Amino acid sequence: MTGRIWAIALNTFREAARIRVLYGILVLVLGSNLLALFLGQLSAHESGRVARDVGLAGISLFGSLTAIFLGVFLLYTEVQRRTIHAIVSKPISRWEFVVGKFAGMVLVLSVLVGVFAAAMVAMLVLQGAGVSSGVVKAIVLCWFEVLTVAAIAIFFSSFSTPFLSGIFALAMWVIGRLTPDLEAATAFAAPWIRATTKLALEIVPDVHLFAVSGRTLDGSAVSVHGDFVSWGYVALAGAHGVGWIVALLALAALLFHRRDFV
Amino acid sequence: MSLLAARVCTRRKAVFCEGLADLAIDVRDLTKTYRTPFARKKVEALRGVTFSVERGHIFGFVGPNGAGKTTTIRTLMGLVRPTGGTATLLGEPLPSRVARSKIGFLPESPYFYDYLDVGELCDLAGRLFGLAAPLRKRRADELIEKVGLTRARGQSLKKFSKGMLQRAGLAQALMNDPELVVLDEPMSGLDPIGRKEVRDLILELRDAGKTVFFSTHILSDVEAITDRVAIIARGQLQAHGTPAELVSRALQGVDVTVRLPTQRDGDGALADGASRVRRVGDELSLTLGADTDVDAWITRAHAAGAKVLAIAPRHETLEDLFVRQVAEAKP
Repeated sequence: MTGRIWAIALNTFREAARIRVLYGILVLVLGSNLLALFLGQLSAHESGRVARDVGLAGISLFGSLTAIFLGVFLLYTEVQRRTIHAIVSKPISRWEFVVGKFAGMVLVLSVLVGVFAAAMVAMLVLQGAGVSSGVVKAIVLCWFEVLTVAAIAIFFSSFSTPFLSGIFALAMWVIGRLTPDLEAATAFAAPWIRATTKLALEIVPDVHLFAVSGRTLDGSAVSVHGDFVSWGYVALAGAHGVGWIVALLALAALLFHRRDFV
Repeated sequence: MSLLAARVCTRRKAVFCEGLADLAIDVRDLTKTYRTPFARKKVEALRGVTFSVERGHIFGFVGPNGAGKTTTIRTLMGLVRPTGGTATLLGEPLPSRVARSKIGFLPESPYFYDYLDVGELCDLAGRLFGLAAPLRKRRADELIEKVGLTRARGQSLKKFSKGMLQRAGLAQALMNDPELVVLDEPMSGLDPIGRKEVRDLILELRDAGKTVFFSTHILSDVEAITDRVAIIARGQLQAHGTPAELVSRALQGVDVTVRLPTQRDGDGALADGASRVRRVGDELSLTLGADTDVDAWITRAHAAGAKVLAIAPRHETLEDLFVRQVAEAKP
């Protein structure tokens, strides 16, 4: 089983590595880090803060957008180009194929997040700001966020077109990110609006858990520039993400299992 | 599932599979209906298809475009879920991963990952079949040579012609040394030499004890190599048997070629009542009806100064049968 999943994952990695858009995103992220270097020079004694904010925002934003892009296209193109015919006619289960595609995306996205993080760390070191454990935890949280978003995109891609899957995945990511703000905004609204919002937020992964810098947790402010979350929190948030990933992949596999490949 | 239920289930499977041991493929009353997404219009791609393929045979599955050949094959290979009916592959009811591990499949107009080369494609197939690395390498080397792609080994599939892709597809289909080989239009896109090579490969596979099931609409290939043949049209099986069983041995007519005297312009008297009349220069070819008195016709030809060059009886061909069956297929 693992051999077949690994074969699909490696092939997916090779396939994704040939997508030129990814190299464009890579250049964009490296450029944004250089911009952070420039902006840091303009700000008095805040160059490290700027580098951290821009770097982490770059990992989260571009990592998630890349995850959506890869997620909605990689599964869909297999069906559209009929490359899947020669694969699922072999002794491989469809769920193994879906998991293999996701594992391949995990490899690609991990490399990307690694490169983004390395660029940010290089900027911090260049500015003499150093790398705190808070930065490392924030990077790990971003990584979980990107993987969760990838699973959302794969889920939609298992039954929809890339355009619709992209819109749905983007909407879920944005709503998931804004969950606390949406809850606060509807706190004093009519009961049915509160109930509807609560229901809607329940079915969306809580990706806001991965971007906590600047928020208040359990009554105390957390910031990547100062007191940040514990490793225990990172593990819990990661477990939450893994739970969503497993659930989304299971649903994707179920939907994929019922599809006809014509 | 309780132990008792599991035993009953195994026994039922054994009973079900009893008698199917000699069959590589057994299809009973297979139906497939597609529905268009919004209009919910029904399209019946397969309408109660029933046939079986014995082990060790070459089976030709023929039909015009849109007849249901590819849908049948995709259903057998687990790409499409049947709406009704049953099918077994190598004694295993569909869908069966066990059966798929013993089957080699070449899809119609094969699309592969174009960034791979043929060796990498074979390696990927070998990994999915669970073969160990040394065996994958050995099998890939053998098969790439067998399908004549050794010189193109370093090229990505993107640069392959359609015929080369077909050969690459054959190589990946045979990686697991399959018991049953299912080929959807294997001769499509191949030049005459390529077609002959594929025919030879199919015969070679049969000689090695494999079962080969292939679809095509090239009837000469079917006549040349198949043990049994099935004709499908409009989603229904029209005929099923050996080529000799299917075509009528009754005389259909007599093909005659004569050389006309140079001074003679007309050939009306000789062509009277004949069909397929064709004149090239001073040579006249025609087909006399089955009930024509050939001796009398030859005497008449000699009297007219013509010289008989060739004369041969015409029996029904698979092509005649195919055209007849397709025309008679129920809408």
